[in-house]
Amino acid sequence: MSGTALAAGAVQVGGGVALAPLLPGLVQHWKARLQGRRGPSPVQPFRELRRLFGKSAVTVEGTGPVYRLAPSAAAAAAATAVLLVPPAAAGPDWGVGHDALALAGLLALGRFAVAAAAWDAANGFSLMGASRDLTLSVFVEATLVLTLAVAALVSGTTDLRGVVAGTAGGHVWTSPALALGAIAFALVVLAETGRQPVDNPDTHLELTMIHEGPLLEYAGRDLAYLQWAAAARHWVVLVLGAQVFLPHADGVWWQLAALPGVLAALCAALAVTETLVAKMRVLLVPRLLAAGATLALLGVAAWVAGAP
Amino acid sequence: MTAAALAFGPGAIALGGILAALRRTFRAGLGLQAAGAALTGAAGLAVLAAGGSHGAGFTSELHPRLGVDALSGFFLGTLGLVAAPALVFAQRYLEPDARGRATAALSSPFLLAMAGVVCARDPVTFLAGWESMTLVPATIILVARGADRRSRQTVFTYLAVTHLGGAGTWVSVLLLAGAGGIGNSAAAGAGSGLQAAVVLAALAGMGTKAGVMPLHVWLPRAHPIAPAPVSALMSGVMIKVALYALVRVVVEWAGPPPLWLGVLVLAAGALSALGGVVYALFQHDLKRLLALHSIENVGIILLGIGACLVLRARGAETWAAFALGAALLHTLNHALFKALLFLGAGAFERAAGSLELDRLGGLLRRMPWTGGAFLVGAAAIAGLPPLNGFASEWLTLQALLRVPAYGGVREGVAGALALAALAATAALAVLCFVKVVGLVLLGPPRREAVAAAEEAPAPMRAATAFLALACVALGAAPGLLFGPLAGLAPWAGPAPARAGLQLPGTGSLPAGGIALVLAGLAAALVLLRGRRSAAPAPTWACGQLVEPALAWSSAGFTKPLRLVLELVLRPEREVAGREAGGVLQEVAYRGHVPHLIDERLYRPVARLSLAGAARARRLQSGSLGVYVAYLIGLVVTVLAAARLGLVG
Repeated sequence: MSGTALAAGAVQVGGGVALAPLLPGLVQHWKARLQGRRGPSPVQPFRELRRLFGKSAVTVEGTGPVYRLAPSAAAAAAATAVLLVPPAAAGPDWGVGHDALALAGLLALGRFAVAAAAWDAANGFSLMGASRDLTLSVFVEATLVLTLAVAALVSGTTDLRGVVAGTAGGHVWTSPALALGAIAFALVVLAETGRQPVDNPDTHLELTMIHEGPLLEYAGRDLAYLQWAAAARHWVVLVLGAQVFLPHADGVWWQLAALPGVLAALCAALAVTETLVAKMRVLLVPRLLAAGATLALLGVAAWVAGAP
Repeated sequence: MTAAALAFGPGAIALGGILAALRRTFRAGLGLQAAGAALTGAAGLAVLAAGGSHGAGFTSELHPRLGVDALSGFFLGTLGLVAAPALVFAQRYLEPDARGRATAALSSPFLLAMAGVVCARDPVTFLAGWESMTLVPATIILVARGADRRSRQTVFTYLAVTHLGGAGTWVSVLLLAGAGGIGNSAAAGAGSGLQAAVVLAALAGMGTKAGVMPLHVWLPRAHPIAPAPVSALMSGVMIKVALYALVRVVVEWAGPPPLWLGVLVLAAGALSALGGVVYALFQHDLKRLLALHSIENVGIILLGIGACLVLRARGAETWAAFALGAALLHTLNHALFKALLFLGAGAFERAAGSLELDRLGGLLRRMPWTGGAFLVGAAAIAGLPPLNGFASEWLTLQALLRVPAYGGVREGVAGALALAALAATAALAVLCFVKVVGLVLLGPPRREAVAAAEEAPAPMRAATAFLALACVALGAAPGLLFGPLAGLAPWAGPAPARAGLQLPGTGSLPAGGIALVLAGLAAALVLLRGRRSAAPAPTWACGQLVEPALAWSSAGFTKPLRLVLELVLRPEREVAGREAGGVLQEVAYRGHVPHLIDERLYRPVARLSLAGAARARRLQSGSLGVYVAYLIGLVVTVLAAARLGLVG
């Protein structure tokens, strides 16, 4: 294995598995600062995870294996997604390949597990959240696949290492297809990380919860797994955004070196949107995402029209 | 060896049919049929693996001939893999009373008719098999349901629609045979009018039989009312045989098609995929829901075939072959998980007495084997890794992505739209099957009969477990089949069979690796979690009492989507309140999502043809004088025409 692949693998596991909770932590921290509060420290998610890990889980009466295994399955799917997405144009093969379109399946697996657990607990609020999450996922998945298609067409492969290499440099400024894809991908990021205007991660009102709803019944290590999985989703989509849809350096070492800064900038951008934008009516979100899908479609058309 | 199996397998199916008609040998007969189907399927897969062909070659002459080549072998394998477990299941599912025996006996000609279509090498055998493949299941439904009014009406719709549409099959096969094009792709002539006519007629005729929207109306009516093993055969094999015919005619015999035909197939595929899954979401009966999902999956298969046609027209032959391989792999995958789900539904119906989604619940605890297998099938049809549905959907997505990569602007946009449609379809299938799993398997039981449900007997468990294992195995090693299947394209060379999916220009899908990593990580996390758990607590409902009447229903879970798609679906709802003294006493609610293709397309046609028939009936007054007047009028008209030189 080459040195670059080794370094990329270290960043992938270190960043995606161990430091991923820092991403939502940073967003919360900066959001509080922007709103004039002192807010929690960026490492607050780690403290929560440690605390949850020491607590015992709660069994809901009448639930079975699906409810018990769902957090592990969702976290395993998120971890596999972390292994699938290389942090740069190189990365070790963890046995799961590096295919962009396989990512959609892994994200869907996590959603399936959590929603099935909501049915097992038969909790009305969990089911409300799950039903909304899955409804939005129809539009998220279509937009995600179309944006990935734009990136794949521009770089000529769906291998994410090749995609990162093929979109390197200031490509996004010169290629209208990639620019349209980037706007659409920004909406995917908002939806997958559960940020406003799609979802409000800070809500404590069960009726407005989307991603938090299905987690209501869980406690202890189960909840820790699910919170970590949410953080890992942040890592996956933000790394894709940074290394595909934003200008990035040509060369693995430069890409790896710039990644922390770009991720922090993206977290800051999320904090700014969270502060500026109010939550949308849940039934209007599909329109927003459909607009994103249309932009990505235009991106494909632009690429096809411009291709020799 | 293979040739002997190909002779003995159908023989065993025929003998098993006779034995199943007798009370004493009922189970043995079904078992013999299952063994025959397994033998036929194994021989078919052997032909696929070895290549080459057995028996006669194709001919446009009207002389009955039978033979097997690799493509036929693959569909025989599909038939065996579905029919063997379905018939083992039927051993205990069907009672050895008159109806059960008749059903068991008729399953044998049904299987032989489907095998006949697949093995036919000439137009006569093909069309004979095709028609019996339609008529035998109609008979089974009538026999098994005791010919009540509803099933007679359904069977009539089924026969009427498949025969009207099925005329397309006759037209396309006979046109091809007339031009000598059976088994000869040069005869139709690329870009000729004949080629377009053959392909369009095949799309109408075989598309009707496969359940392609908007020709699908019979399918969600006929599949649910058959007995579960027959539903499994109809959804798992019969519509696949129609797809076999479509692949034969459109991909193999018609020659390189013009671009617009490929785009048309893509459009039909996208419509079927999205329409099937959206209407499935709003069903309240499990088997009807599963039948509509067959339409969705036929749509996904058509997307693969459409991508194959477009890519071939653009000259991207390697990827065209991959697209065909993706479509064929999804054909087998859908056969496996749909048979599994139909058999599971049959077991639930037997145990709980009903398949109304809102009146089941908690069956995973009562029936862990059948329920567990059903859960695997649901995850597979939802396209989740590491199961087989995911592998073939991934392949189809990759093939569709190559359409814009190789195409002009119009096909490129069509390909991208199809890509988005497939992604949305996969997400909708997740929504739908989370709902099914939740309402049927999870949560508290919603009726007393469901709470007392008992696990199915061993043969039924074995059948569902076998199909679930097949779904897992094909999910872990899809490449073993995908290689030979991609090699079936007449323009492609043989492809190597590997476990994973390594295609040029992709990040490759090491399906086995993904399965191992997912399973390993999940197992590690389960171990790490440990068994520590606090005392059980009731579910959180803001302190309210949790009442069974407040349980979530099928309609509730899909409500957000119904509201989002309101403009397209036009759902109907009626809320009526009864007031007494200014206080609301009672609220009656009724909601319904009408099937727009039925309402907007078929109802006007049916109304017009009925009105036309009523007009035409006035000619038949029954009075002798009127008939004499008709005759005189006819003679005068003919004479006048002859005088004017229009006839003769």
